[in-house]
Amino acid sequence: MKSRITSERLQDLQSITDAALAYLPLEGLLDELLTRVIGIIGADTSAILLLEDDDTTLVPRAAKGLEEEVERGIRIPVGRGFAGRVAASRRPVRILNVAQADIYNPILREKGLASLLGVPLIVEGNVVGVWHVGTLTERAFDDEDVELLQRAADRAALAISSRLTERERGLADALQRSLMPRLPELPAVSLAGRYLPAAAERLGGDWYDAFSLQDGRLGMAIGDVVGRGFHAAAIMGQLRSGLRAYALDGAAPSDVLSRLSGLLRQLEPGRTATVIYLVVDPHGGGLVIASAGHPPPLVHKPGEEPRLLELPGSVPLGAARHARYEDVLMVLEPGSMLVLYTDGFIERRDESLDDSLQRLMTTVAEGEEDLEHLGDTLVDVLLPDGPGNDDAALLMARAMPLSEVLVARFPAEIESIPGLRRLLGRWLDEAGATRRDIDDLTLAAAEAAANAIEHAYGLAPGIVELHATTDDDTVTVEISDFGNWRPPRGTHRGRGLLLMEGLTDDVEVVRTGEGTTVELKRRIGDEEAA
Amino acid sequence: MTGSAEAEVEYHGSVGVVTLTGEVDIVQASQLRERLLGAVRNEDLGLVVDLTRASYIDSVGVSLLFELAEKLTERQLRLAVVLPDGGLVGRVLGIVNLGSVAEVHPSVDDALASIRAA
Repeated sequence: MKSRITSERLQDLQSITDAALAYLPLEGLLDELLTRVIGIIGADTSAILLLEDDDTTLVPRAAKGLEEEVERGIRIPVGRGFAGRVAASRRPVRILNVAQADIYNPILREKGLASLLGVPLIVEGNVVGVWHVGTLTERAFDDEDVELLQRAADRAALAISSRLTERERGLADALQRSLMPRLPELPAVSLAGRYLPAAAERLGGDWYDAFSLQDGRLGMAIGDVVGRGFHAAAIMGQLRSGLRAYALDGAAPSDVLSRLSGLLRQLEPGRTATVIYLVVDPHGGGLVIASAGHPPPLVHKPGEEPRLLELPGSVPLGAARHARYEDVLMVLEPGSMLVLYTDGFIERRDESLDDSLQRLMTTVAEGEEDLEHLGDTLVDVLLPDGPGNDDAALLMARAMPLSEVLVARFPAEIESIPGLRRLLGRWLDEAGATRRDIDDLTLAAAEAAANAIEHAYGLAPGIVELHATTDDDTVTVEISDFGNWRPPRGTHRGRGLLLMEGLTDDVEVVRTGEGTTVELKRRIGDEEAA
Repeated sequence: MTGSAEAEVEYHGSVGVVTLTGEVDIVQASQLRERLLGAVRNEDLGLVVDLTRASYIDSVGVSLLFELAEKLTERQLRLAVVLPDGGLVGRVLGIVNLGSVAEVHPSVDDALASIRAA
């Protein structure tokens, strides 16, 4: 098309992408572009709508004279109404009389706009949004107006798109970081997780999660939402929350997955995800696991070859209307390790799936003791060139033998005491204590914990730490707090100390600047003790 | 996971018998305290607390028994505690010398007879 734009307006156009704009953040850039185009074209309103990364919806991102469009969070389906038509046809659209046209967005009429002109924002052949201008009095936008706005749009599209990608990357990092859980610290199971974003597009739908359930068992999950981009990540966040909510209700893994499948179908019909959810008893090792089309977990018993856990065939979440899943029961023996992963870890362009799995198993077999180190090694070995096209997640758990050193932390609340007693009781039993040793030591430890809870922290939340070791036949149990003791009040606290002394061989109370530790010692294993 | 405790009250003429079952501990103390103090009627001669079915008692539970003994003494009523032979509860109540404020008996019948005989 031969340009018929006057040299004056052409000069104005230069201002659309002058160097000063390069340093503006996205919002500032959009605002400035809108204002400049209103001036050049002589319009009353101007708005930029950007395409969501599901490619089906336009969302107003910035507007002048039409601010409500952004504030109300209007969403316009591609193909519908004025802006939707611009995006779908990838061509300019002119409307002379808004009152008689097919308009989707009610704000355009509410504002009393008479005429509209819209052009697509195109980057590398892909529509990324729509830019439209409007007038309050009727105006027949001519070809020069169309060309001017299209040129402005072409110049702006690239800047918007790169700024957008950058910003969304920042958001993506923040989102992904905030969605990766702080793994619970448990005395009986050690945990480590890794998440690697995809190389090019830093957003993905993989996640892992681990959390304590109310009955003291541990819930573990790993999942992979099909698709990429911000949208897949957002769906992932919702599934992760849904899974936790169903899990905290105490539902069995198979039931959690069926309900999650229903949730996904409601959130977004057609979207699928693969997930493994399992519940493990940290003190007994009993494990219940269910899978929804996810790659099989790896189990490694000490002294044996690692193997893939064969789970019954299952469909991904969202793939069937009434998906049913199956619980498999097994035991995670002390020292055994479980490795959950997403396909991003084992799918490489230059290697078959079997080879990747073999490498996973070999690395685990040579396994380093420390799970954090093992996690690093697995990332190095399986993704030597860094992240691939897909994001990747890894969650590892090892059942620790309880009989070595017991360390556990509890919230400094009265309700923690029964759990503390039971945990210490199990540990003492494994350490060879008699019934009487267990009764006396757990009561003494409970008294020490009650002291810490009532006197170390006042009303502020705090932590009580239980630490137990054996040396020959003597057990040392330490109860520590990290608060400032005030002297115990009331006679029952005095009796607490009396009981600790009466039920153990030795009681030491050590106060430092960091807190107070009560150390209880007792010789165990003597059946004849009177 | 929390322990649980029950307090059942029965009256044998003018003596109440409270049977404590389960864990008499810091978690359960406040609900047990109400049951125990509420079990004493004005016309009673005394109260028997049967601990043979209690599996656990901590210093808060112990304090509850001391408080009960004190309140009964103020009203010139007697407290008799039934303890199993051996076991954690017996050891704990031995260490704190519950015998200094209450009679200790091996069975409910012995405890009832002792209160009635006084």
